[in-house]
Amino acid sequence: MSAGSLWGKAARKFARDRLGMLALAVVAGYFLVAVGVWFGWWASGWPDLTGSKWEPVSASHWFGTNVIGQDIFDRAIYSTATAFEVGLVVALAATALGAVLGAFAGFFAGSWIDDLIVWVMGVLDAIPFYLFVAAVAFALAGNDWSMHAAMIATFWVGTGRLIRGEVIKLRGMEYVEAAHSIGVPETTIIFRHILPNTSHILLVQASVMFVGAIKAEVILSFLGLGIKDGMSWGLMIDESTKEVLAGFYNNFLAASVLMFGLVMAFNAVADALQDALDPRKVS
Amino acid sequence: MSTGDIQPVLRVRDLSIEFATEEGIVPAVDRVSFDVLPNETLGLVGESGCGKTVTGLSILRLIPMPPGRIAGGSIELNGRDLVPLAARDIEDVRGRDISMIFQEPMTALNPVFTIGSQMVDVLRRHRDLSRREARAVAAEMLAKVNIPEPASRLDDYPHQLSGGMRQRVMIAMALSCKPQLLIADEPTTALDVTTQAQVLEQIRGLQAEFRMAVILVTHDLGVVAETCRRAVVMYCGSIVESGTVEELFGHPRHPYTAGLLASIPRLRRERLPELPVIPGRVPDLLALPTGCRFADRCPRVQDRCRLERPALVAAGSGGSQVACHYPL
Amino acid sequence: MELLQYSLRKLLGGIPLVIGVTLVSFALMVYFGPDQTYLLLGKNPTPEQILEVRQQLGYDQPFITRYLGFLREIVTLDFGAASTGEPVMDLLAKTMPVSLILILPGFILGHVVGLMMALAAAYWRGRWLDKLIMAIAVVGMSISFLIVIIGFQILLSSSDGLDLFPVRGWNASTFADYLTYVTVPTLATMFVAVGYETRFYRSILVEEMSRDHVRTARAFGLPESRIFVRNILKNCLIPIITRIMFSIPQVAIGGALLIESYFGIPGVGKATYEAIVTGDQPVLKAVVSLTAILFVLVVILTDILYRAVDPRVTLK
Repeated sequence: MSAGSLWGKAARKFARDRLGMLALAVVAGYFLVAVGVWFGWWASGWPDLTGSKWEPVSASHWFGTNVIGQDIFDRAIYSTATAFEVGLVVALAATALGAVLGAFAGFFAGSWIDDLIVWVMGVLDAIPFYLFVAAVAFALAGNDWSMHAAMIATFWVGTGRLIRGEVIKLRGMEYVEAAHSIGVPETTIIFRHILPNTSHILLVQASVMFVGAIKAEVILSFLGLGIKDGMSWGLMIDESTKEVLAGFYNNFLAASVLMFGLVMAFNAVADALQDALDPRKVS
Repeated sequence: MSTGDIQPVLRVRDLSIEFATEEGIVPAVDRVSFDVLPNETLGLVGESGCGKTVTGLSILRLIPMPPGRIAGGSIELNGRDLVPLAARDIEDVRGRDISMIFQEPMTALNPVFTIGSQMVDVLRRHRDLSRREARAVAAEMLAKVNIPEPASRLDDYPHQLSGGMRQRVMIAMALSCKPQLLIADEPTTALDVTTQAQVLEQIRGLQAEFRMAVILVTHDLGVVAETCRRAVVMYCGSIVESGTVEELFGHPRHPYTAGLLASIPRLRRERLPELPVIPGRVPDLLALPTGCRFADRCPRVQDRCRLERPALVAAGSGGSQVACHYPL
Repeated sequence: MELLQYSLRKLLGGIPLVIGVTLVSFALMVYFGPDQTYLLLGKNPTPEQILEVRQQLGYDQPFITRYLGFLREIVTLDFGAASTGEPVMDLLAKTMPVSLILILPGFILGHVVGLMMALAAAYWRGRWLDKLIMAIAVVGMSISFLIVIIGFQILLSSSDGLDLFPVRGWNASTFADYLTYVTVPTLATMFVAVGYETRFYRSILVEEMSRDHVRTARAFGLPESRIFVRNILKNCLIPIITRIMFSIPQVAIGGALLIESYFGIPGVGKATYEAIVTGDQPVLKAVVSLTAILFVLVVILTDILYRAVDPRVTLK
C-alpha cells in the first residue's frame, strides 16, 4: 500500500461524506473569522467601552454589552481567533511531541529509551489533569504560555502511545528492515521512512486535540489559569457565571453558541477524517 | 442439475446476493442454483472471492445485512423457503435443522465461556432439556468426536484445546441437535495436514451415523475428491460447472475447471514440471464483462464469449451442467 | 497465594511510577510553586523573620534534601499539618468522602446511561436510532462542561428556570439535603459523561460484534438480544474495566475540581486546588503521593479483575 493511494482514497471518501464536508465548511468559516481578527479587519475594538452596563441587543450592539459596557459581539468574534490560536498551537506542538517521542519509544522498544518514555507517559497519566495544569501555571509564575505548555505536556501522551504501537508494527516491515540492512541511519529511518506512514493517525489526533484544547481553555479560564492577556470564550463564560443568576444571559449565550458551533463542526470533521483514514475503524 | 426423483433436502434456485459498498453494488452471488440430496456431500468449490462462502452463509442468512442483501431467488429446506422467514423463525432453523462450522477454530468459539457452557446454550436453545441433561448430551457429543475425558473437558476454555480439538468441539456442537444439513465452510483449511484428515474422517463418519447432508465449502479440490459425491464449481459469483466428482475430475467440461485441475500438484509424478497457472486475474465484481466472466483468462476464448454470457445447461449423460459456449 | 505474590511483585514494580509522579509533582507544585513566606508574615516583615520562616518551611534547603524528606513522609504517611493548623490526614478524611458522594452518582449514571444508549445504537446499527443516538453523543461531547453546569443551573436553580434546587453550596447532613444539593452537579456530570461513554461503549460493542464467535453464536440460533447481553458484554469487559478503573484516581482526587469550585463544595479537589494556589506544601505532598499510590493500586486491581473475567489472562 503506497502512502499516495491511501491519501487519494481517503480524500475521495471524505469528499463523499456530506456531513463531513459541511462541517469542514463551517470550520473554514470560523477560520476566516479568525484570520480577519488577526489582520485587524474586524473586532479590533473589543476592549473599548462603547456603551453602558448590560445593554440589550440592538443595531449598534448585536449581542448587547457586558457589565462595563464592552460590545459582546466584538468580544465573541475576537475570541474565535483566540480559540484557533490555542487549538492550533496545542494541537501542533502536542502532535509533534507525541509523534517524535512515540516513534522513538516504538523504534527502540525494549531498550532503555522505550522504558524511559513509557515511564514518563505513565507518570503524566497518573497526575490529575487540572491539578497538573494548575501546578504548571504556578510553576511558570503567570507566564502567558503556561496554559499552552501545560496542555501540550499532557496531551501528547495519547498520541505518543498510539504512535508507539504503530511504529512497533511498522518496524518489522520489510522496507524498514531493508533500509536498516543497507546502513541507513536510525534517525533517518524514523523520520523519513516510518513517521510519514503514521501521518493518518497524526492528522486525526491533531484534530481531536484541537477540540480538547478549546474545551480545556474554558475550564482553565474559569479556574483563573487560562488566557492572561486578551479575550476568549472561556473568559466570557467565566464573566457570565456572575451574571446568569441575575438574569443577564448575553455573554453566556454568545460565547457558548459560538464555541459549540466550532467544537461540534470540528468533532464532525475529526469523525469524518477517521472514517476516511482508518481502515480498521468500524462505523 | 437434475437429481432424479429423490426429494432434495435443500433446493437453491436463482440465488442472488448483493453487497452495498462505497464503490457501488457488488453482485457477490449471481443466480446460483443447486440441490443437496439427503445423506450426500456436495462440494462448493472455487477460488477465494468466488462467492462460495457467501453462498454458504446466506443459506442461514448469516451475511451481514446491511450491507448484504438477498437480491433474489429462493432457498428451500424440505420445500419451505427460508428467504422470507422472520428473524425469529430463521433463528429456530439455525443449529437445529441446519448447522454450520467455520474455517477458524481458533476464533469461532467464544474465549470467555467454557465449551460446556457454549454447548449447553445451543442445546437448551433448541431442545427442551434441563441444564444437567444438556450437559450430559454435550459430554456424549464430545465422546462421539473422540475427545478424551469428555465430561471434564466441558469445563475447559477454548484456549486450553488444540486447533484440531476445537474444530471437533465445533462439530460436536453443530451435530448436537441432529440437523438435516451441515454446512462446513473450509473446515480444515486452518489445520495441519494430519489433523485435516482426521477432521474430514470425523465428518464423514458422523454423516453416516446422523444421516445428514453436508455442503463442503472449499478451495481444495483434493478434499472434494476425497469427500464429495457431487460438486459445484463457482467462478466470479456464478456456477460454471456442476456434476458428480467422477465426471468433473475425469472429464472437466469448463476450461476453468480444467485449469483448476491442472494446477494441482500430483505426488505420483516423478519430476514436477512447472505447474500450469491460469493466466490473468479474476475480473472486478464492480466492472463485470458483458460476456463470459472467464473470457479474459480462457485459452479457448472466441468472439461470442465476449459478447454473450453462456447459460448453465445440461452436458453429457451423467447429469452434469456447464456454462460454456465451447465446452471441452 | 499466587495472588499475594503477584500483588507484592506489582507493588514493588510500581515504585518507579510513585517516584516519577511524586518527583514531577514535587518539582512543579512545591519547589517551583508559590512561596508562602509573605503570606504567613503579613506586611513589612524583618529580614530575620523572613529567614526564620523560610527555614521553617524548608525553602533554604537544596532540592534533593527536600525531596528525600518528602519520600520519608510518604513512607511514614505523616505529612504534618496544613497551613490552617489542621493535620493533613484529617483534612483529607474530611474532604475525600464529600468528593466521592458528590461525583459518584453522576459517574455511575454516565456509564449506565452511556452503556444503554450504546447497546441500543449497536443493536440497531446503521438504522435511524443508531444515527440519532450518535448525533446526540457528538452534541453532548461538543458542549463544554462549564456551559453544561451553567445551563443546568439556569434551568433548575434560577428564578428564570424551575427554581427547584439551591444555587450553590453543600449540605449532606440528611439524605433529603444530600439529594437537593447533589442533583444539579449529578445531572451536569452525567450529561457530559454520556456523550463520551456512549461512543466508547458503542465502539467496543461494534468491534466485538464483528468477531467470529459472535457469528458462531448466531449460526447456532441464539437470539440477537441474548448474544448482546450475555456474550458480547462479557467479551467487552476488559476494555470496560480498564476505562472505569483508570478513571478512579481522576475521579477520586481531581475530577470534582470544577464542580466543587463552581458550587463551592468543600471536596478534596477544591482543597487541593487551594493548596496549589497558596503553596500549602503539606497538603500538596499528601495529595500527590496518595494519587500515585492509588494509581499503582488501581493497576494491580485491574490486572486481578482481568484475570477474573478472561480465562486467557494469567498473572505472571
